[in-house]
Amino acid sequence: MIDLIQMIVNGIAVGSSYALMGLAMVIIYKTSEVPNFAQGEMALISSFFAMMLLTSFNMSVYPAFVLTFVFAVILGCFLEFAILRRAKEPNVLGMIVITIGIEMILLGFVSWKFGAEQKTMPFPIGPYDSFIIGDIFISKLEVLTLVAALLLMSVLYLFFKYSKLGLAMKATQQNSVAAQIVGIRTNRILMMTWGISSLVGAVAGLLISPTIMHPFMMWDPMLKGFAAAVMGGMTSLPGVVIAAYMLGIIENLFGGYISIEFKTVVAFVIIVFVLCVRPSGLFARHYVKKV
Amino acid sequence: MDMKRDYYEDVQLMSSPVVIFWFTALIGVLYFFPLFVGSYYVYVANYIAINIIVVTGLNLLVGYTGQISLGHAGFFAIGAYGTVILMAKAGFPFLLALPCAAMVAAGFGFLLGLPALRLEGPYLAIATLGFGLTITQIIGRIELFGGRDGLHAPDITIGSWVLDTDKEFYYLLITLTILLLFFMRNLIKTKVGRAFIAIRDADIAAQTMGVNILYYKTLAFAVSAFYAGIAGGLYAFVLKFIEPEIFTLLMSIMFLAMVVVGGLGSMLGSIAGATLLCWLDLKLRNILDIPYIGDWLENLSKHWFSITGVSNIQYIVFGSIMVAIVLFEPLGLYGIWIRTKKYWRTWPF
Amino acid sequence: MKKGLMLVLLVFLTFLLSFAPNLFAEEGVTDTQIHLGQWGPQTGPAAAWGNVARGTGDYFKWINDNGGINGRKIVYHMFDDGYNPAKTKAGVKELQEGTGMFAWACGVGTSPGLAVRDYLAERNIPWVGPAAGSMHWVNPPQKNLFAVYPLYMGEAKALVKYAIEKMGKKRIAIAYLNDEYGKNGLRGALAELKAHGMEAVEQVSMEAKDSDLKPHVMKLRKSKADMVLMWTTVGHSARIVGISKAMQFAPQFMSTSTTSDFPLMMNITKGLWEGVITATLGELPGSGYPLLDKYKKEVFDKYAAKEERWGVFYYAGIIFTEPMIEGLKRAGRNLTRESFIAAMESIKGFKGIGPEVNFKPYDKNDMYSRQGASQTFLVQCLANGRAKQLTEWMDIK
Repeated sequence: MIDLIQMIVNGIAVGSSYALMGLAMVIIYKTSEVPNFAQGEMALISSFFAMMLLTSFNMSVYPAFVLTFVFAVILGCFLEFAILRRAKEPNVLGMIVITIGIEMILLGFVSWKFGAEQKTMPFPIGPYDSFIIGDIFISKLEVLTLVAALLLMSVLYLFFKYSKLGLAMKATQQNSVAAQIVGIRTNRILMMTWGISSLVGAVAGLLISPTIMHPFMMWDPMLKGFAAAVMGGMTSLPGVVIAAYMLGIIENLFGGYISIEFKTVVAFVIIVFVLCVRPSGLFARHYVKKV
Repeated sequence: MDMKRDYYEDVQLMSSPVVIFWFTALIGVLYFFPLFVGSYYVYVANYIAINIIVVTGLNLLVGYTGQISLGHAGFFAIGAYGTVILMAKAGFPFLLALPCAAMVAAGFGFLLGLPALRLEGPYLAIATLGFGLTITQIIGRIELFGGRDGLHAPDITIGSWVLDTDKEFYYLLITLTILLLFFMRNLIKTKVGRAFIAIRDADIAAQTMGVNILYYKTLAFAVSAFYAGIAGGLYAFVLKFIEPEIFTLLMSIMFLAMVVVGGLGSMLGSIAGATLLCWLDLKLRNILDIPYIGDWLENLSKHWFSITGVSNIQYIVFGSIMVAIVLFEPLGLYGIWIRTKKYWRTWPF
Repeated sequence: MKKGLMLVLLVFLTFLLSFAPNLFAEEGVTDTQIHLGQWGPQTGPAAAWGNVARGTGDYFKWINDNGGINGRKIVYHMFDDGYNPAKTKAGVKELQEGTGMFAWACGVGTSPGLAVRDYLAERNIPWVGPAAGSMHWVNPPQKNLFAVYPLYMGEAKALVKYAIEKMGKKRIAIAYLNDEYGKNGLRGALAELKAHGMEAVEQVSMEAKDSDLKPHVMKLRKSKADMVLMWTTVGHSARIVGISKAMQFAPQFMSTSTTSDFPLMMNITKGLWEGVITATLGELPGSGYPLLDKYKKEVFDKYAAKEERWGVFYYAGIIFTEPMIEGLKRAGRNLTRESFIAAMESIKGFKGIGPEVNFKPYDKNDMYSRQGASQTFLVQCLANGRAKQLTEWMDIK
C-alpha cells in the first residue's frame, strides 16, 4: 500500500515537468497549429542563460531568474518574428521542419557556448531535499514544480478564457482572416503566444536544471510533454495537465509492478491506444471534417 | 510548359528521348565511377543511396499521401535486424533475406497504418514517434537479437560472388536503388499513385469518388515501410555492425527533414534532399578546416564561446540551411530546380 | 521531369572532380612526420567524453615540443563523429584513404569502434587503446588492435570482492545500464558473488534515455541492500545517489571507474558523492604521483583550452596513448607497421600514469596478448572531492 501511494506520488512529481512542457507546446499549437519541436531547446537556452548569470556574473538567484524570464519572452518573440513569420506559403510539415531546424541551431549554440560537460544549477532548494510524511517521500523541488504547473495552468486558463488578449488569441486560432477583419493584429498575437510559451518552457527548464544540466537534458521532458499534450488533446490546457499526470502515474506504476525495462516507452504505447479510441485526444472536441 | 496533353503523356515513365538519354548517361556514370575513386567515396555513395531509398519511400507517405511519420528509423531497424538475423540464424541467402525482412517491416507499417486511418497532424506524429522509440527498446531487450551488444553482419554471397568490399557492395546497392526508384515512379504514375494524391488533396472527396481510403492509406504505410526495411537491411552491411542505439529518433527526424528539404511529392526532390543532407552531415565536421572562415570561427570561439565545443557549429550551419531552404522555398530543392529551369528556358529573352 | 536528372548527374560529377592523389611510400610516415588519427564525439549526446580526444591532442603537442619521436613529429588528425557509427566509418575512411594514417589512437565508444574494427583489421592498421572497456576488442584478439582499457568485468569483481571481504557487506544489489558496458559490469559482479556463494538481492537495469529513476531506486530500497553497485552513466549514478538520499536509503554505493572524477561527481550531486567507492583508470590528481603532476604542469597548463578541466576523461586520453608513444619510440627510426607492432608486443611492465601495461606476441587464443592493462585500485570520495586510496594497484584478470 505504501508502495502504491509512493508510486503515485512519484508519478505526480514527474508528471509536473511533463505538464509544464506540454503547456508550453499547447499554447503555440492553440494559436498557430504548429507542433513546436524547438520547445525543449528554447527552454534549454533560457536555463543556460540563467546559469550564466549565476556563475559568470555572480548574480543572486531571484534577479537572475527574473532576467531569465524576460530573456525567454524575448527569445520566443524573436524566433516567431525573425523566422516563422518569414515562411512563404507555410504548411504544417514545412513548419515542423523549420522548428526542427531552429532546435538544431539552438542546441548547437548552447553546446558551443557552454560545452557538453554535465553541470547543475545553484538553486535555493536542493534537488534531493525531501519532505517525509509517514513513509512517503516527495522532494521539495518536485513540490515546487507541482505548484508551478498547477498555478501556470490556472493562470493561463483564466487568461485564455477572460482576458482581452487571450480572447484575441483564441480568435486568431479559430479564424485568422476574420480576426484580422475585426482589428486583431494576428501577427502580433502570434508573436506574443511564442513569448508566453517560451516563458512557460523556461520555468520547466529552470526546475529541471538543479538536478542536471547538459545540452540534451530537455529531450525527454519535451517528448513526454508533447505526448501529454497530444493525449490531452493539443488544445485544452487542463487536459494537458491531467494527461501529464496520468502519464507520470502510469509510467511509475508500470515500472513498479510490471516491467521497469519498458517504463520509458509505455507512455507512447498507451497514447497509440488512447488515440485509437479518441483520435483528438481525451479532452478535445473531435471535429468531424467536411468536404 | 510541362503541360500534359493526353492520358498517355501523364502515365509514361520518361517524357522524352532527351530524358531517356540523360538517364542512360547517368546510369553509365553511376556504374563506372567506382573505377576511378577510392573506397571512401564509394562508401559515401552507398550511404547516400541508402538514404535515398528511405526518403523515396517516406516521400510516398508524406509527400504523396499527406501522412506524417516520425518512426521510420523503426522500420529501418526492423529491416536491418531482420536481414541480419535471417542470414545469420536461419541461413537465408541475402537476396531472400532482404525482401523477407522488408516484408516484415511492411507488415509493421500496415499495423501502424491502422491507427493512422483516424489520426492526423501532431496526433499521427506522436503515434509514429512512439513506434520508433518502442521498437528499438524492444530489440535491445531481446537476447536473440544480440540485445545491446549488437550484431555483426555476415558477408554477402550471391551465388559464388562474395561481396566483401564497398565497391562490390556498391554495384548491388546501386542496382537495387535504381530498380526501387523505377518501381516507385511506376507506382506513382498508375491508378494507385493517383489515389494517394487524391487522398492527400482531399480525403473525403476522394472517398466519395470511390477511392478506398482504408486500403490506400495502409498501403502507403506498408510500401513506405517496405522501402525503409530494404534500406535498413542494406545499411547493416554498410556498417557491418548494428545495435539498437543506432536507430534513434534523430534518424527519423533526419529522414523527414530530407523529404521536406528535397521537396514534398517529388522523387527528384527526394534524391536531392537525401544527397544534400547526408553530404552535409558527413562533411560539416570539417568546417574548421575551411581557410579563413575556419580560423575566424576558431578565434570567435576563443573569445566568446568555448573552444572545446567548437564542433557544434556544424549543428548551427545544418539547422540554418534546413530552415533557410524551407523558409524561402516551400517546395524545397525541387522548387528551386523548377524555378531555375523556368528561368533558363526562355533565356535570353 | 525534362532533363530533370541532370541535377543528380551534376552532383556525381562534383564527386568525380574532388579526389586527391595519395602518394606516400610507407602510409602515414614520412621523414619528419607520423600521421596518427582519432575520432571523438565533440557533438551529440556523448560529447561529454569528447575531452579524451582533446587530451590526446594536447599530449601529442607536448611530445612534439619535446623533440618528437626519433626525429619525427606527430601530426594528429582528430575528427568529430558525434557518436554516430556511420560517421565514424566515413571519417576513418576519409582520413585513411586521403591523408593516410599510420595508426589510430583511442576512439571513444563501443559502437563507433565496432563499425571500423574490421576495416582497420583487414588493412592491418595498428589501433591502440580504444576508449571503452569492451570484450569486442580482445575476444578474439586481433593482430593490429592493442587494448589498454581494463576490462569492466575485472573492475566489478574487484569492487564486489572488496565489499564482501573488507567491508563485510551481505546484501548486494546491482543497478546497471542495459548495454554492453553495463552488462559486463553485471557479469563480473555476479561471477564474484557466486564465488562467495552469494546472490545479488536485486538487479535493476535502466536505459540511457531514462530520466526518472525513482522506480529504480524504490526497487533497490525495497531489497534492503547494504551495498549498491552502480554500472550506469555519470548522470544516472549521480541521480541514484541523490534520490536514495531523498528516500533516506543509505547503503554503501560503489561505482565504476567512469565515475571516478570526484570533483565532477561532487559538483553534480551537490556533495552527496562523498563516501562512494569507485575503481580507477589511473593515478588520481592530487595524489602526488610525479608523472601525473608533470603532465598537469607541462601538458594541461600549457596546451589545454581555458574551458578544459583537468579531469579523469581528459587525462584518460593520455593514459590510453602512453603505450602507443612508448611503442613508437621502441620501433626506432625505421618505422613500419610491422616494426611498430613488434615494438608494442615487446612492452612489458610499462608504467605511465595508468595501470601497468603488458603485451605479448600475438596468440589468437590468449586475449591477454592484446589486452594490455588489467589492474585497478579502489578509492573513496572524501568531503572535499579528494580521493582516499583504499587499496594498492591490484591484478583483476
